[in-house]
Amino acid sequence: MSITNKITVKRAEIAVAVILALCSIALMIKSAENRITWNAEENMGAGFLPFYLSLGMLICTILTIIKFVLKRSPQSKDDNPFIDAVAFKFIAVTIISLVVLVLAIGYLGIYFSLIFFLAFYLRYFSEKSIAFITIFAITTPILTFLFFEWMLKIPLPQGISEPLFYPVYDFMYGGFSFAVKMIFIILTVVLPTALVFLTTRFIK
Amino acid sequence: METVGFLLDGIFTSLQWFNLVLLIFGCLIGLFVGAMPGLGSVNGVAILIPITFIIPPTAAIIFLAAVYYGAMYGGAISSVMLGIPGASTAVATVFDGRPLAVKGEAMTALTAAAVGSFVGGTVSVILFTLFAPPLAEVALRFNAPETFALMVMAFATFVGLGGDDVPKTIFSILIGLALSTIGLDLITGKPRLIFFNIPGFLHGINFLVLAIGIYGIGEMLWTLEETKGKVQMSKLSVNMKEVGRAFGALKKTIMAMNIGSFLGFFVGILPAAGATPASLMSYGITKQLSKNSKEFGEGVPAGVVAPECANNSASTGSMLPMLTLGIPGSPTTAILLGGMILWGLTPGPLLFTQEPEFVWGLIGSLYIANFFTLVLNIALIPAFLMVLRIPFAILAPVIFVLCVTGGYAPTQSLHDVWLMLLFGIAGYILRKLDYPVAPAVLSIVLGPLAEKALRQSLILSDGSMGIFFDISEKPIAAVIMYIAIVLLIMPAFGPLYRRFYKKKQTA
Amino acid sequence: MSIIKKLALVVVSLSLVAVSSVSSAKPFSPKKPVELIIPAGQGGGADEIARLVQGVIEKNDYASKPVIPINKSGGSGGEAMTYVKKKAGDEHTLIITLNNVLTTPVNQPELGIDFFNDFTPLARLITDTFLVWIATEGKNTAGVETFDDFIDLAKGNGLVMGGTGSMSEDELLLGMMRGQFGFDAKYVPYSGGGAVAKGLVGGESDFTLNNPSEQMGFYQSGDSKALVMMTPERNPAFPEVPSSYELGYPDLEYYMMRAFMAPAGIDAEVEKYYTGLLHTVYHDDEFQTFNIDDGKLMSWLEGFGLKDFLAIEYEKHGEIIKNFN
Repeated sequence: MSITNKITVKRAEIAVAVILALCSIALMIKSAENRITWNAEENMGAGFLPFYLSLGMLICTILTIIKFVLKRSPQSKDDNPFIDAVAFKFIAVTIISLVVLVLAIGYLGIYFSLIFFLAFYLRYFSEKSIAFITIFAITTPILTFLFFEWMLKIPLPQGISEPLFYPVYDFMYGGFSFAVKMIFIILTVVLPTALVFLTTRFIK
Repeated sequence: METVGFLLDGIFTSLQWFNLVLLIFGCLIGLFVGAMPGLGSVNGVAILIPITFIIPPTAAIIFLAAVYYGAMYGGAISSVMLGIPGASTAVATVFDGRPLAVKGEAMTALTAAAVGSFVGGTVSVILFTLFAPPLAEVALRFNAPETFALMVMAFATFVGLGGDDVPKTIFSILIGLALSTIGLDLITGKPRLIFFNIPGFLHGINFLVLAIGIYGIGEMLWTLEETKGKVQMSKLSVNMKEVGRAFGALKKTIMAMNIGSFLGFFVGILPAAGATPASLMSYGITKQLSKNSKEFGEGVPAGVVAPECANNSASTGSMLPMLTLGIPGSPTTAILLGGMILWGLTPGPLLFTQEPEFVWGLIGSLYIANFFTLVLNIALIPAFLMVLRIPFAILAPVIFVLCVTGGYAPTQSLHDVWLMLLFGIAGYILRKLDYPVAPAVLSIVLGPLAEKALRQSLILSDGSMGIFFDISEKPIAAVIMYIAIVLLIMPAFGPLYRRFYKKKQTA
Repeated sequence: MSIIKKLALVVVSLSLVAVSSVSSAKPFSPKKPVELIIPAGQGGGADEIARLVQGVIEKNDYASKPVIPINKSGGSGGEAMTYVKKKAGDEHTLIITLNNVLTTPVNQPELGIDFFNDFTPLARLITDTFLVWIATEGKNTAGVETFDDFIDLAKGNGLVMGGTGSMSEDELLLGMMRGQFGFDAKYVPYSGGGAVAKGLVGGESDFTLNNPSEQMGFYQSGDSKALVMMTPERNPAFPEVPSSYELGYPDLEYYMMRAFMAPAGIDAEVEKYYTGLLHTVYHDDEFQTFNIDDGKLMSWLEGFGLKDFLAIEYEKHGEIIKNFN
């Protein structure tokens, strides 16, 4: 009897409804930090709309809870597990790795975090060879870099890895000719990408 | 007829070979940027403004128009192929585009998107050419009460969009609206709902964060559960028969094309509205008027055509308030406006008479860009379909990477990436419990527009709601408001009417 | 897992190499693209100047790395200021100012922004002016020809004023005028100067206090007219509009400053570099022509002069806000 069997749709339904009701109340309290009145003398206060919207949310969740108690919603009669054990494992691993990824982005910067994330995720979910995964995990951040930083000029977070990119920027904006830059792009992007394609075809 | 001459000049200028190369290059950049979640034409146009200092203004406009249109098409590609809206304007395209792709009819969805976009673009250029000056006057008279009435109408068109569970549907609408109030209150200048004093909440919740979270992360988790990671996408063959079938499916979407083109253009010319509300409204109305409205959301070509047609039509339309009133309807037109000012052009009522070459050159190149993007799009469909052949285990992490960069890029804040992750997980759980998620996404888009217009109107009327219903003072607002109320009430009477009708038949 | 370990080793060793190579002393020049934070949305006055500066730098290769404008419009500049505050010591971040950098730290004390210690002022390039605008065919302002006509009208009737947002420059200005002339108006906030201008011509508001560039289109077409410019002298872009000094209201003087600041804690070397860069931009012909045509005042100020100016303005705005509340 694993934990995933204990969480039935029924239990999940009521738990979620209660959590949403609590969130609605929290929103109401938070909205009340601003004026929530609206009358003839004064214009609508800044908190008026959020307050009554969250009140409406609260009423909706209470209705959901009432429907649950009266067994009027399909979920209130459903004793199947909310999620089965195998899927739960996959989803838990995905969510945790995403959380770790975003944490790492703040510290390590996006490009290196992506390498680790991709390497881990592919290793865990796919049956690709190490060679494929390595190439893939390194090429993707490079493409991301070129696309965002070079083409669109949108800086992505680099965290502590920032000094590593100084030479790259010097190269990008230095007085090199267009041809040299193109050769560089071909070497760093096209070759690894071609390798990825080749490996998908022949190495698996 | 002078305008037609200028328009033809504009078209011929874009067809010179140097400009044509720029145009195709611009379309490709636009397609690519548009297809990336979180990035849209605004990013493409922003990087190009400095470049336009170097190339001549005419070429610059053509380039920008190409990027603009390319991005409008590109948004649909990721909506269909990945299930993530590539741009804000393509949110409604996900509703039916994604189910079509899952059903194995991605070809139909992409063709519908491309042809719909083209039709929308064409109709809007014709409307623009014929009616630009009088419409500018309409846009000028369209103020806060009118905008609010329009927003109520937009909400009214979504009544049918929810699920079967009424409290859960209303909850979804309300939470979207409540989330949209986060950030600085425009009217009082006070910060609202800044949880734990985190500065990231000060800019509010960009609805792309919610959309990417729910449709990107949430959808991936959903698929992961359904398939347990062992999904093998069906092999798709691209041959002439398939192409023929895809075009055949478009015959049934004539109504959607009409609604999308005209409604899209009209909403587009209104200041502060723009292509996103246009595409959402067009979807809602097409669904309500359709004979098989039950099938919407499960994958019908009309559900792709309507929003795509509307967003392209609206993007041409939104040039009107930008050019004549100096009011950008979207961040992209805002940057374009900045560019115009830098080129020494003053947007305003005189622009049409003082700089006709510029105005009609822009419209002409938009049209040519529209045509070339259609050609490119149809030609590239096989390439887009390759995405479906990528094994899920590889596609999933790539989509996560796109979600993370897409959540970060618009506001440059990691805070939004966290929110996106949170919305993704919450959206997944809620969806499993039959909470519809689409209404939340819609209301976070329209919420800020509606709130601002409502409160501006109430200041003007000293707090009286009568301002929206006074047919002699504000005829436009009142008429729209009454239509909206009829639309709101209609679904409630639908079942009654049917029951009555049935009784009469059996009697 | 061994692959991850190997990669980690590579990363660590590479970063060591990079860090050691950076710390050699040379005159400063940016090592990566410079972020130019705009505490307002796309399409506004600050955005326009920021993108102009970006364009001028890029076109003439004034800097070795590009300048990238980033809009952080949240919380009346609160978001942008918090961001820059957190970037203390960062050599690749600049912020362009609106006057909201003077008011937001006072209005939103919970952000904990210390205007004098969280930023390094670099230079002021431009000051933008304010004018009182009415629609030529405004139904409530018919017959108003001069600013004095306007004051008389406004005293008796509750006119509607369109503005760019609560506690923004123009609402403070309205507060100032209320004190000076004894009239009040209903303030309707819009999002952005363009929308304000349109609201005026569209008949929703009776008057506005727009910057020149925001009304330029309607001014040229004759849809709107200006009654007074809040400066000591007339502006060549609006030759027939009297200045407030001429009309005998020298207290009615107000400007929007377009200055650039860096985060706190940067080296003097870095400060010198950016000030020099801005100076080059300031003297660029294209930059000058564009701004003068647009009715802006070219007003270079740096160093102690700038610091004094900011201190005075900060004080003045604190006073205005106090009176306003």
